[in-house]
Amino acid sequence: MDKLFLLAMNGLIWGLIIALIALGLAIIFGLLDIINLAHGDFFMVGTVLAWATLQSTGSFWLAFIAAPLIGFILGALIQRIVIQPIRNVAALSIVATFGLSLILQESVRITYGPTPGRILPPIQSTIHLFGVDYEAYRLFAAAVAILALGGFFVFLQHTKLGTWMRAVRHDRETAIAMGIPAGRVCVLTFAIGFALAALGGVVAAPITTVDFRGGVDILPFCFMAVIIGGLGNLPGTVAAAVLLAVLEGIMQSVADPTVARIASLVLMSAVLLLRPQGLFKGLAR
Amino acid sequence: MSVSAIERCLWALLAAFMIAVPWIVPALVGSFWVSVIAEILIWSLLAASVNLLFGYVGLLSFGQALYFGFGMYGVAIGVEDLGLSFWPAFGLGIMAAMAMALVTGIFAVRLTWHYFAIITVVFSLIFYFLALTNKWLTGGDDGINFTLPPTINIGGLSKSFTDPSFQYFFILCTAALCFWLMHRLFRSPLGKAFLAVRDNDVRASLIGLNVYLLRLIAFVLAGFLAGVAGGLFAFFGRYASASYMFYHVSGEAVVWAIVGGAATLLGPIVGTTLFIIVREIVSTHWEHHSLIVGTVAILVVMFAPKGVVGLWNDWIARIAERGSAPAGAAKLRTEP
Repeated sequence: MDKLFLLAMNGLIWGLIIALIALGLAIIFGLLDIINLAHGDFFMVGTVLAWATLQSTGSFWLAFIAAPLIGFILGALIQRIVIQPIRNVAALSIVATFGLSLILQESVRITYGPTPGRILPPIQSTIHLFGVDYEAYRLFAAAVAILALGGFFVFLQHTKLGTWMRAVRHDRETAIAMGIPAGRVCVLTFAIGFALAALGGVVAAPITTVDFRGGVDILPFCFMAVIIGGLGNLPGTVAAAVLLAVLEGIMQSVADPTVARIASLVLMSAVLLLRPQGLFKGLAR
Repeated sequence: MSVSAIERCLWALLAAFMIAVPWIVPALVGSFWVSVIAEILIWSLLAASVNLLFGYVGLLSFGQALYFGFGMYGVAIGVEDLGLSFWPAFGLGIMAAMAMALVTGIFAVRLTWHYFAIITVVFSLIFYFLALTNKWLTGGDDGINFTLPPTINIGGLSKSFTDPSFQYFFILCTAALCFWLMHRLFRSPLGKAFLAVRDNDVRASLIGLNVYLLRLIAFVLAGFLAGVAGGLFAFFGRYASASYMFYHVSGEAVVWAIVGGAATLLGPIVGTTLFIIVREIVSTHWEHHSLIVGTVAILVVMFAPKGVVGLWNDWIARIAERGSAPAGAAKLRTEP
């Protein structure tokens, strides 16, 4: 029972982190109609930035500001240089982001090195929770993820830029006619998408490993969350990420991780075939 | 000289070069490059299977590595576990890939575009993880190594892939046969029906085409191509491994096909050749060759969105236009 609780709890927290990354993927997907194969690597860049910040300044906490900021700038640059010229052809964006993914992975391999590393959690203590000693850092990670998720939805619903982003996604032509700078909104969206993934990377860095291939496993999981949640349904994406991770966590208590992964993939194909509009259609808009 | 004569000349040159490879390539750059060219031919079949679906039916598959992997495992399990000889094992690999394409296709082609791309990845991931866990059958990441059976064994004549020239010619003939079959297919009524589905599936269904069935046929044919590629690659490397079923392999095939030029017969060969040669040349001097591969992929989609062959065709068309037809007549042409 303790083990089940532990795995479910780990799943929940991992799901919240995945939700952050998947949210970035979902806004890029929804607004720019781009299947971003480099999104897992945006996460990986976040973990490496956390490691670099820790090495150069000795403080892990700075990474919570530095990594999303660098991610934001990188995202804006990538959108301007690579995505903008090809944005009308979605199939090309797959090739371009695949190339981008190779470049990011290789750049990290050159600078950081090929061997996976670990970051010690900045909070070492444990908290006694329902009969088990639980790592305090994971609870902190969950809190950061929830705050960031909440912050993003407040931004989307209650600020001018957020309204613009929703407007461009809803109807690009009308939005332009109303005077919204759609081009700049696209840059902003891509930058925020990268920043969210990078923040997810920082939060997850002490939980997973820092590795130039770290994004490869994350990417399918994020796509699953986006699809099961329903394309364009952002709260659905968050819910699906958490649900999937908790389910995988619980399944891991009875089967090995690969079997759990297979089960969630089968679940996902069922959702795609039976409810292609996502599990939560009609619940949130 | 007219444009079509130039193209015919290039074709003849290419054919002559491909036949002469085992003699001139070792003399010019070393015998290692013969096997690189053989590998290019194999991978271009996988890229061609992506191209058949994306370029001609409009379905972007990100899971062709699954059928490549089934081709590989069909051969490896056939030889190692069932004790089959060359041809039955090759047949088993191709049949396994086609059967898998049929079963997954029945579900997958109900979806289109984004959803189709994603469900093909999901299917390939499911079987990738299954292959990883069922080590007793597949050997997992380590794969299965097998001893090569002879290809031809009639009387005293015994030929197998251990002879590099024979291996090269066998792969060349198989690839040429597949590309010739594709050439015939694209000119047949079935090929035209594929194009109708790609351009507008609603109109295609209104003129009485069975869109679902056409997509399924294309999917199984693409599975055939990927299966042939996988079977050849198993014989070529004498092993099969689950790592070739991962979605990165599918992704590379998509990149090769689109960079070469989607909806062109030669596009997959050109794209595959470009990337594998860049990889082979750069990786001997510099271990970070992925940087170059990534940059090339991005540059091609930015500056040649129709791919290398598309760029070439546009160029040829412009020359032909300037040379013969008056400008007004050329503008009236609507057929690409």
